[in-house]
Amino acid sequence: MIPLTWDMVVQGLVEAGRILGLLAVGVVVLELFAYFVFHRWLKLKHSLPLMLMLPALVAVAALIIYPFGFNLKLAFSNMSMYRFKNFSVGLSYGIENFLDVFRAPVLQNVTFLKLLLRTVVWTAVNVVFHVLGGLFLAILLNRPLKGKAIYRTLLTIPWAIPQVIAALAWKNEFHYQYGFVNAMLKQLGFAPVQWLSDPRWAFVAVIIVNIWLGIPFMMVILLGGLQSISPEYYDAAQIDGASGWQQFRSITMPLLKPVLIPATVLGVVWTFNNFNVIYLITRGGPMEGTDILVTSLYKAVFEFYRYGFGAAYSTVILIILLLFTWVHLRITRGMGEAEGA
Amino acid sequence: MKRAFVLTLTSLLLVALLLPVGAFAQKKVTFTLWTKEGEVAGGALEDIVALSKEFIKTRPGLTMEIVSYGVEDLRQNFQAAAFAGQGPDLLWTVSDHAGPFVAMEIIKPVDDIFGAEFLEGFVRPGLEVVELEGKTWGVPISVGNHLMLLYNKKLLPEAPQNTDEMIKVGQELTVDVDNDGMPDQYGLVYNLNEPFFFAPWLGGFGGWPLDGVTPTLDTPGMVGALQFVHDLKFVHKIVPVECDYDAADSLFKEGKAAMLVNGDWSIAEYQTPEVKANVELGIARIPMISETGLWPAPMTSGIYFMIPDYLDDEKVAIAKEFVEFISSDEVQVLFLEKHMRLPATATALAHPSISTDPLLKGSADQMVVGKPMPTVPEMRAAWDAIRPNQEAVMAGKMTAEAAAKAMQEAAEKLIREMNK
Amino acid sequence: MMKKLFGKKGREDSLAKRLLIHLVLIMACVIAVYPFLRVITISLRPGAQLLSTSLALIPANATLENYRTLIFDKDFTIWLWNSLVVSITTVIVAVLLSASAAYAFSRWTFPGKKQGLLFLLTTQMLPPGMLLLPIYVMVVRMQLFNTYTGMILAHSVGAVPFSIWLLKGYYDTIPKELEEAALVDGAGAIEAFLKVIIPLSTPALGVCGLFSFMSSWSEFMMARVMLQKSNLFTWPLGFQKLLDQFTSQWGVFSAASVLVAVPAMLLFMYSSKWLVSGLTLGGVKE
Repeated sequence: MIPLTWDMVVQGLVEAGRILGLLAVGVVVLELFAYFVFHRWLKLKHSLPLMLMLPALVAVAALIIYPFGFNLKLAFSNMSMYRFKNFSVGLSYGIENFLDVFRAPVLQNVTFLKLLLRTVVWTAVNVVFHVLGGLFLAILLNRPLKGKAIYRTLLTIPWAIPQVIAALAWKNEFHYQYGFVNAMLKQLGFAPVQWLSDPRWAFVAVIIVNIWLGIPFMMVILLGGLQSISPEYYDAAQIDGASGWQQFRSITMPLLKPVLIPATVLGVVWTFNNFNVIYLITRGGPMEGTDILVTSLYKAVFEFYRYGFGAAYSTVILIILLLFTWVHLRITRGMGEAEGA
Repeated sequence: MKRAFVLTLTSLLLVALLLPVGAFAQKKVTFTLWTKEGEVAGGALEDIVALSKEFIKTRPGLTMEIVSYGVEDLRQNFQAAAFAGQGPDLLWTVSDHAGPFVAMEIIKPVDDIFGAEFLEGFVRPGLEVVELEGKTWGVPISVGNHLMLLYNKKLLPEAPQNTDEMIKVGQELTVDVDNDGMPDQYGLVYNLNEPFFFAPWLGGFGGWPLDGVTPTLDTPGMVGALQFVHDLKFVHKIVPVECDYDAADSLFKEGKAAMLVNGDWSIAEYQTPEVKANVELGIARIPMISETGLWPAPMTSGIYFMIPDYLDDEKVAIAKEFVEFISSDEVQVLFLEKHMRLPATATALAHPSISTDPLLKGSADQMVVGKPMPTVPEMRAAWDAIRPNQEAVMAGKMTAEAAAKAMQEAAEKLIREMNK
Repeated sequence: MMKKLFGKKGREDSLAKRLLIHLVLIMACVIAVYPFLRVITISLRPGAQLLSTSLALIPANATLENYRTLIFDKDFTIWLWNSLVVSITTVIVAVLLSASAAYAFSRWTFPGKKQGLLFLLTTQMLPPGMLLLPIYVMVVRMQLFNTYTGMILAHSVGAVPFSIWLLKGYYDTIPKELEEAALVDGAGAIEAFLKVIIPLSTPALGVCGLFSFMSSWSEFMMARVMLQKSNLFTWPLGFQKLLDQFTSQWGVFSAASVLVAVPAMLLFMYSSKWLVSGLTLGGVKE
């Protein structure tokens, strides 16, 4: 055991200070550079917004571009367990890798198509329940109510608990004999379910956990949206004799849309890529019955040592997600909002 | 003029970007050991740290850094480190890692570093596990890591001799006290869906996952063993419907399971005062399979030192001294007596406590009928092939015959994929 | 009935209705909190046992022994301190970077704006684990391992895209007239931003900080490859030591879980006032 000493406390602070200092110097140099190049030399019309964005964009790009390029290189290589350090790069390897994604099982039995389908189900079910659950709770919390603050705080707890811990806690609750889920079912007169040995039920279990995790975020976002809708709209509707459902459809929904669209876009992206919940609860099992694209990717690379294939596979997953989001934005015409119109 | 200014700025920026930020961090010459030992109370990690302190005492200028990772994290992290050519100086890890590490060419053979004379001090089976391609790839720290039968003498005074007896007493001891349709006490518990816990039964039916590097999963032995574990759950009903490692562990600790299959690493945990209130521990061989007359063969493996291939001569020399230090009789006996780990050197194995302590004796007795776990990378494929199909059999969704066939196909495919 | 459910706010519901709403909310709260209560139960149980046939929330022989072990016999305080250093620095870096960038996205139209926002969204789409090996290679080449620099950069970059989206949405709801008034008074664009926009945006900035903190606080994959010294470990790494291959110390692990969840929960409680007003993705324009 190492005790926490003052030395270490100071060391931590010094390290943090050094990083902040270094970054400050970096930003100043970058901004001076940008100022002279964009503003003085090139005389760009938009040099000011460019300079405002530059530090963030440079940081994001630096941490994405090199690794991304490297990953692409691996996608066109034959890197595997037997060719770990002495792998070669070539177009034919890349073609092989990309074809392998579609023509053979990604892990043992489960194929790409099945994984894609399951990921879509996973994402759709989760996001729908996040939005419905969040909306329901937000509407309740938006009414005049005693103890609202307490409810709101308690309801955000699933969001506040680190995911790793939440996932492990839930795993135990799905235990056939010890978990409270089955205990509850028994109380209600249902037969206990083998949550973790039956693949179908295991998939239901991980979905339940992720719904539980995701509702608070949507609830808070939608509550913010609801609160910013002026009550005058409802007053006017009331006078016109509109029913509650009509008011909801013609006032609440349209006015929530600008909040809802970016929130669902992010929700879709985050859920699609959610690795923790499934990996920590079922590891994709039993019988690869709960694997989604991202867990199978991780397993292919780190458990099956298929580095070249994995790099190609990850690129395919990224492209799918891009298409997915693009279609989503097209359908909802959400980009107009994102653009700030 | 302006252009010159821009140029200076550009180069300044480039310098700033290229400056290795980490160069500001403090540099120390340290020797780093990665170990798979976790932070269990009174566990081996504490002793490793203490031993490393003793080791550096006589070596001024040397600091030792002990880093503990989970087994899987250690493997993945070391692979990444070796790929980048910079990482730990010595590994303290399980033998199964030797296979992939050798295939990836990221560890060094130890024959030339230590010399034949030193290696001859270890028991043969201990070395065999890490012999691949005619070279030795690790130095044993302890051997064993094998499963055995632990039983609670408060519920079951004598361990059963064969599986018929085990099923009989198991049924007597599986009782539903509160009549809710779910037993509250079980005859036998173990990690039902884990291939490693299935391996002893497989051996008892005369099967084994690999012959050299060829998977041998679609065999009568496999079918027999799968049928056997299936029947334990569905016919004889002496095991819980769902039981993973933690459930088995909890039931046994609460005194709600008469027999448990678990490994030598767990013995110490069942002797804490809280557990002793419920459990009077006995250790025996996993009972002989009545059908075949064979003893179940748990996989034996061990914990080994492995040396990264990127290590320079200076560090190799330190590694060598540290390994020799841990292999000394003194340290080996410490691990034996304190952590119930069977030593790997012939001299330490002759230590009297192995024959006098009943628990150690039980453990050693079980190891005699164990079989070394194959270290070749193909074993990984076999594990991965067994797991989902074993799960299917245990869920009652597949017959033993179909599962054995599916395992074989999956293993062959995985190996083809691996060798691509 | 429907009218009331979706109807206007500000009007009192009937007593029965209010009771029903309370009942529903209480049930929702129980579901939200219960799993965590069970973690507390395990942490109070003596021995290293994860599961128990007892469903009681406070175990029969409850003890704080696990907490004592954790704080005095483990490196827990170090993990916590390291995590705090990393998370808080990440928050500072991420909020500073995104606050200014979001302003550009909110107030100017320029070529590539849409693409820029989409690029930021794209970074959120990278499958986890995809860039692990390449990032490791980069970290080694730049000699960034065993320092927090690499980690803080990585964590900030992970948090920046969402923060920019969020802040842009919030800035959009602030009327332009406010800055124009400041500009008329002779302030520069930057000054107007600092004096007008930033003070008005504290709720949103707070939410960004909260988000950055949460993502950095429990991040594991990056930490695992970057930190290879025990005294630099953050808690997600340290926790792995408590979960040995088989012999896990569940009691201690649960105690640790409770203690690391508490700072995050306190933060949420503290911020609950502005959490709702600050989290206005996309912004509501009326």
